[in-house]
Amino acid sequence: MALAKRKSGLALSRDNRWRLRKFVADYGVYIALAILLLVAAVLTPKLFAVDTIAVVMRQAAQLGIVAIGQTLVLLVAGLDLSVGGIFIMTSVVVAEVGNGRNEMIAPAILTALALGALVGLGNGLLVTKRRVPPFVATLGMLVLVKGATQAYTRGVPGGFVPEALGIVNQSWFVLSVPLALWLGLNAIFIFVLRGTSYGRRVYAVGSNIEAARLSGIPVDAIRISVYVLGSLFAVVSGVVLTGYVLYVDRFIGSGLDLDSIAAAVVGGTAFIGGRGGLLGTIAGVLIIQILSTMVVLLGLDVEVQFIIKGLVILGAVTLYSVAATEA
Amino acid sequence: MSKPILEMRGISKSFAGVQALKNVSFRCQAGLVYGLVGENGAGKSTLMKILAGVYKADAGDIIYKGMPRLSASTGEIIASGISIIYQELALVPQMSVAENIFLGREPRTSMGLLDLGRLYARSDELLSRLGVALDTRSLVSQLTIAQQQLVEIAKALSQDADLIVMDEPSAILAGSELDQLFDIIAALKAQGVTIIYISHRLEEVFRIADEVTVLKDGEVVDSRPIGQLNRHTLVRLMVGRSLDEIFPQTDHEQGDLALIADDIATDTILDGVSLRLHAGEILGIAGMVGSGRTELARALFGADPLTRGEVRLAGATPQWKTPSQAIRAGVALVPEDRKSQGLFTALSVRINVTIPILSRLSRLGIVRRQTEEQVVEDARQRLSIVMTSPEQETQYLSGGNQQKVVLAKWLETAPAVIILDEPTRGVDVGAKFEIYKLMRQLNDRGIAIIMISSELPEVIGMSDRILVMNDGRVAGELLRENADEERIIELATLGGAEAQSA
Repeated sequence: MALAKRKSGLALSRDNRWRLRKFVADYGVYIALAILLLVAAVLTPKLFAVDTIAVVMRQAAQLGIVAIGQTLVLLVAGLDLSVGGIFIMTSVVVAEVGNGRNEMIAPAILTALALGALVGLGNGLLVTKRRVPPFVATLGMLVLVKGATQAYTRGVPGGFVPEALGIVNQSWFVLSVPLALWLGLNAIFIFVLRGTSYGRRVYAVGSNIEAARLSGIPVDAIRISVYVLGSLFAVVSGVVLTGYVLYVDRFIGSGLDLDSIAAAVVGGTAFIGGRGGLLGTIAGVLIIQILSTMVVLLGLDVEVQFIIKGLVILGAVTLYSVAATEA
Repeated sequence: MSKPILEMRGISKSFAGVQALKNVSFRCQAGLVYGLVGENGAGKSTLMKILAGVYKADAGDIIYKGMPRLSASTGEIIASGISIIYQELALVPQMSVAENIFLGREPRTSMGLLDLGRLYARSDELLSRLGVALDTRSLVSQLTIAQQQLVEIAKALSQDADLIVMDEPSAILAGSELDQLFDIIAALKAQGVTIIYISHRLEEVFRIADEVTVLKDGEVVDSRPIGQLNRHTLVRLMVGRSLDEIFPQTDHEQGDLALIADDIATDTILDGVSLRLHAGEILGIAGMVGSGRTELARALFGADPLTRGEVRLAGATPQWKTPSQAIRAGVALVPEDRKSQGLFTALSVRINVTIPILSRLSRLGIVRRQTEEQVVEDARQRLSIVMTSPEQETQYLSGGNQQKVVLAKWLETAPAVIILDEPTRGVDVGAKFEIYKLMRQLNDRGIAIIMISSELPEVIGMSDRILVMNDGRVAGELLRENADEERIIELATLGGAEAQSA
C-alpha cells in the first residue's frame, strides 16, 4: 500500500517535470521577459521613465521589423544573413534617388523595395533551385550587395536623405511611427501565419518539406516568397533607420542582422523550421533591447552588452533543446 | 533450469503521464532466441531502450550475468556485452564497412596510428563468422539495406556481445534477405549468443524463436515456449481478436477503367511499367525492397518526372507532372515513410488533415476555421482517430493513429485513385484491421486502390489482382484466385522470364 502510494507520487512528479518542460518551451520567453522587467525595476528603475520607454520601443521597432522577416525565413528552415547588406543598400538608394527632394521619397522607397525584392528572389532561387544552403547563399548575397553598393558609390555616397523622411521620428507619447509600423506589421503577419492558407503552407514547408511537396504545396514558390518577404522587411527597417539618422551611414543597422536572428531564436522559433512564431519574436526583441538599455543605464562598457546578449542566446537555446529532447 | 543471463524484474516506466510499462518481468537463458511481440505502443521498444540504458526505469531491477545492474551509461552497457540493433540503422554512409564496424574503437599500431591491416582482417573475420561475403572496403552508402543490417550485426559481434536485441529487423528486409538473417541468427545462437527478436510478423517468430513473450498495453500478457503456441493463440494474446477477422471480404463488381499507365520509366530503377486499374478494385503491388515498387507509386503520382511513357485517368483527362496536379486530377498517394514523407510531426492533427484542401476551405486565402474544425471532427469520427484534441501535435500519436491522420488527409481530397505505399507498416494489428475495413469501404464507393506491401499475407488477403515487380519491371500478374506466397516470391526473385522457364 505504502509502496503503491510512493510509486504514484513518483509518477506524478515525472509527469509534472514533463509539463514543466513543455511549459518552458511554450511560455519560457514570456516568463524570461517578465523576470527581466522585475530585475530592471530593482537595478535600473530609470528604464520605466516615459522617455526611456520611448527610446527602447523605437529601437525595438527598428530591430523588430526586420525580425518579422527573419522569423518567416527561419520558419521554412532558412536563414537570412543578407539583411545587413539591405540596410546599407536602402540607405544609399533613399539618398541617391531622393537626393534631398521630399516628393521623391515615395519613388525612392519603391526603388529600395524593388531592389530588396530582387535580393530576396536571388536568395530564394539559390536556396531552392540551386540547393545552396541558406547560410552560404545569404552570406554570399550579403557580400554581393555590400560590394555592389560600395562599387556604385565608390565609397562616397552621393545625394541627401530627404528631410521629410524625418517623419519616422514623430511620436505620440511613446507611440512612435516605427513602433506603430512594427505593431501593425506584426498584427498583419500574425494573422497571415495563423489564419491564412499561405501561413499554413509556410509552417508545413518548414516542418517537413517532402511531405509538403507530396501534399501538393508548391514548396519552392513558398520558400522563395518567404525570402522575398524577409528582404522587404529589411528594406522597411532600413528606411526607418535612415529616417532616424537622416544621412547615409555606411554602417547603418550594423548588428541588427544577427540580432534579428537572435530575437527569433530566443523567442522560440526553431532553426530546423516549422516551430515558433511572431509573438515569441516580439518578446525576444524586447528582451534583447531591454538588456542593451540596462547595460547603458548601469554605466557598463558596451562589451558587457555583447557578453550578456551572448549568454542570453546560449541560455535560451540550451533551455529549448532540453525541452525538445524530452517532449 | 540454468541461471538466466538476463533478468528484468518489475520494470515500470511512464512518459508524460502515460504508463508505457507496468511491472514488466522478462528473463533470458543464454544461447536462446526470444521473440518479443505485441502491438505498436505495447512497450517493446521502451523495454529494450531501458535495457540499453537509453531510458531509466521508474521502478524495477535488471540483473545481468548474475549481477544487479545499477545506473550505467549506454557505453558501459555495450561494453558489458549488450548490443541493440535499431530499426533506423546508425552507420556512417561515407565510411567503409570495416571502418563502421570498428567506429571509435579502431585497432591502432604501437605508434598510435590506425592499423588498417588489422582493421580489415578483423572485419573479414567477423563477417565470415556470420557466414556472409561482403567486401569490407566498400562504402556503406553502396550497400543495400539488408547488407547494412549485416554490418550492424558484425559491429555488435565486434563488441563481444553476448546479448543482441534486434528491433524489427525484418521491417526493412524481404524474401531471401530474411532467410539470410535467419541463418545468421541460427549461427549466432550456436555460438552461444542470446537474441531478443522484436517483430510484428508472427511467421518469423514461429520460425526462429525458442520462447515468446507477448506485451500488451505495457504489461506482459504471457511468456511461453514456442511449442505451446500457434498463430491463432498468439494473435489472440496480442489483440484479443482472432485471425479470420483480419481481412474483411466484400463482394463487389469490378468497375470501369480508372487509371492507365503505359510503359512508364523514371530516372530511378523504374523501367517500363504498364498497368490498368479499375474503379472499386484493389491492385496489389508486391516485390522485394528495391524492386521499384515505391518508385512506381511516386511516378504514378507525379512525384518523380517520367522519362518516358504516360499516366492518365481513363476518359482522356489531362496528364499530370507534379503532385499538386495529380491531387487536382483525383489521385492521392499515402507514402511509405510516414514520418519523413507523410506527416508534419510538429504540427497539429487539424493542420495535417486539412493541408491539401486549404484552397477549398478558404475564402480569399483566409481559412474558414469553423468549416475546418468540422472537417477534422468528421475525419476523427469516420476513422476513429484517438487524440486528445485536434490541436495535439501528431508526433504524440501512436503509429496507427498517425497513419489514420495521413489517410484522413488524403480522403479529404476526394480521390478517384488512391495509392497506398505500405499502408500498415508500423501499425498495430487493431489499427491494421481498421485500415483494411476502410479500404473495403473505399472500394464500395468506387474508389480504385493501388496497395504496395511487403507483407505477402496482406497482399494476398486484400488484392483483387497482384502485380509482382522485379528490377523496375512487372515480372508477372496474378489474380487473387491463383496467388500464393510461393508464386509471388518466385516472380519477385527470379523475374518473369526465368520464372516461366523454371
